[in-house]
Amino acid sequence: MPLATLLCYVGFSALCLSMNRHYEDLTGRSFSGSRAKALRLLGWAALLASLWVALASQTLGQALVQWSAALMGSAVVLVFVMSYWPRLALSLAGVGVLLCPVFAFLQLLA
Amino acid sequence: MKEGFRQVMAWLHTWAGLTFGWLLFAIFLTGTLSYFKNEITQWTQPEIVPHEISAADGVNRAQQWLGENAPDAKRWFIRLPDERSPELGVSWTPAKGRFEERSLDSLTGIPVQARESMGGEFFYRFHFQLQMPYRWGRWLASLAAMVMFVALISGIITHKKIFKEFFTFRPRKGQRTWLDGHNAVAVLVLPFHLMITYSSLVIFMTMIMPLSILTTYGKNTQGFFDDLFPAFKTEPALADRAPLASIAPMFEVAAEKWPGSRVGLITVNNPGSANASVTMTRHGADHIPHEPGTALVFDGVSAELKSESNMGAASLMLAGGLYGLHMGHFAGPLLRWLYFLAGIGGTAMIGTGLVIWLGKRRLKHAKSGVLPFELRLVEMLNVASMSGLMLAVVSFFWANRLLPVSFTGRSDWEVKTFFCVWGVALLHAFARVFLRDGRSAWREQLTLAALLYCALPILDMATAGGYLLASLKQGNLTLMALDMTALATGIFLAWGAFRFRGDGKIVLASKLTPAVQEAR
Amino acid sequence: MSAHASEKRQKKPRSGAISVRGRLAVASRVLAALIGGYLLTALTSICLAQFLPLVRAEAVVLAMTLSFLVYLPAVLWCFACGTAWRAWFGLLLPSAVLAALYASARWLL
Repeated sequence: MPLATLLCYVGFSALCLSMNRHYEDLTGRSFSGSRAKALRLLGWAALLASLWVALASQTLGQALVQWSAALMGSAVVLVFVMSYWPRLALSLAGVGVLLCPVFAFLQLLA
Repeated sequence: MKEGFRQVMAWLHTWAGLTFGWLLFAIFLTGTLSYFKNEITQWTQPEIVPHEISAADGVNRAQQWLGENAPDAKRWFIRLPDERSPELGVSWTPAKGRFEERSLDSLTGIPVQARESMGGEFFYRFHFQLQMPYRWGRWLASLAAMVMFVALISGIITHKKIFKEFFTFRPRKGQRTWLDGHNAVAVLVLPFHLMITYSSLVIFMTMIMPLSILTTYGKNTQGFFDDLFPAFKTEPALADRAPLASIAPMFEVAAEKWPGSRVGLITVNNPGSANASVTMTRHGADHIPHEPGTALVFDGVSAELKSESNMGAASLMLAGGLYGLHMGHFAGPLLRWLYFLAGIGGTAMIGTGLVIWLGKRRLKHAKSGVLPFELRLVEMLNVASMSGLMLAVVSFFWANRLLPVSFTGRSDWEVKTFFCVWGVALLHAFARVFLRDGRSAWREQLTLAALLYCALPILDMATAGGYLLASLKQGNLTLMALDMTALATGIFLAWGAFRFRGDGKIVLASKLTPAVQEAR
Repeated sequence: MSAHASEKRQKKPRSGAISVRGRLAVASRVLAALIGGYLLTALTSICLAQFLPLVRAEAVVLAMTLSFLVYLPAVLWCFACGTAWRAWFGLLLPSAVLAALYASARWLL
């Protein structure tokens, strides 16, 4: 479940960055259309990946419940952190991306 | 045309939200507390200490006590202690008279000597029955649920930029921040809100939408319940008596039939008679759907497995699944806290909505500084239903610690305290809003609430410190967790009270949008 | 659209003074949502219980569970439609159809 939650956070961060109203707040750089498309793709891919990871690790019912919780929880955390500490929100997403392979490895071992 | 539709939905959302918002705030807050009802009960009855006992020992003690104290009952119910409830719960339907229940000490098997208190059950029952007579309360709560559903959907339709503003929260911008906040807790936690609201309708559906039962089963409505829950069909007791078999060995059969799952409720039908039977259902913590239809029935005299029923049909799993998701019995500690936080989010969604409703209309009267009667009424109800309710909740806990440990009607007095404080808060809100201003009402109630919540851990140490320390020594963090949650709540309320400091003229100016400020 | 808009204007003019007729129209819509909506929902559940190809108890449970999905659009309709009369009509007509459907299945076929 930690991997699925991380992927949710990363996915939402990417989707958030793909919007011009947030991109500049978070990165301080100007927005570009092609980057937006790539971020949107990455975002949705990460969210779908998180669902797949959740389904792979437990029964259907438990997976859907926990995935929904991860989805809602990561969205709330992102919006809260982003609104007060935008750079921190971005850093967390970066850290999340780095930690994903670590947790994936741990989950495969378990 | 689309704009017209959206406008109508906005109107509907606003008025449905206002008329039922106060009630829904109370339902959501007490419902949210109910996710920790077992833990609240542990706090209100700290005398009951958890013991590590085997299921067999537990049921033996329960069976012995019931055999001695309720031998002529029509039905016994036994609930074993678990990680969230330390007591061995026994209850029974006597041959004559009302349903009775007792908490037994799981180690000694005798009724527990603890202060009488409803504990978490008070908030739980309140959130669906509203302290009203059985049917009336549930109907009103169900009506509120339907209005909530309408408010949610109309809100979604109204929120034009639901995707564009998905991540938007702009702090320190007055009314805009309140609206962003309302949208954030609503949209980001939407799956939970929709689930909670729809499932609450499903939970009471046999009461609020019974006609299909009547058209398919006619007068034999009991037949419907017997078809769903064959294991709970009641039979009148036979005149012949026979000793009840020991229940403990039946657990082994249950363990075989339900690998990885514990037994939840044990029901003994017609104990002591020749046609006695023992019904066992699965423990709620072990699976998501609520399935009382999945049960094992044993012969009460020979202890043999008579029948096994499985509630696996898809339609039943849909209803049972929604029921189970609402109740959250299956949730472990982390998920339970998430349920709690989501519930707080829902409560905040309603609260911010009520504040926004008033705030928007108040701006129109900012220049004259005098609010018309209707808006003052709304303000009074906002204060009483939100900060007033918070005061009432904490008073329940204060009463639990301050009232003498043993006197009859103690439990009723805790409940009376809750409602008296709520009533006084309403009167205070009335006096302040109509004779002075809303700000002072909020400030004073939030300040008092902050003090009471923050002081709760101190009160606990002072009046029941022994139990608190004993529980910590045992490794049980429940009492401490409740105290700490109260403290955190108190700090939050103190911050709220701080925001209402002063007379508001300076703060109001900053709350006006830049456009209005320019126009001035 | 214009009838709807004019009634809307009567119901919620910006000046804040709502006519008695406007208030009655809103009250009528609320009653339609409450009573008409319940009627339509109940008849939907009755028909579903009758026609779903499931065992009796399961059909009833599924019918009740799904019925609230009908109540919601019924309520929205009551407020979105052009006039208060249309609110009632829009709920009572389908209700009558469902009642007829059920009656024919139960007592005629």
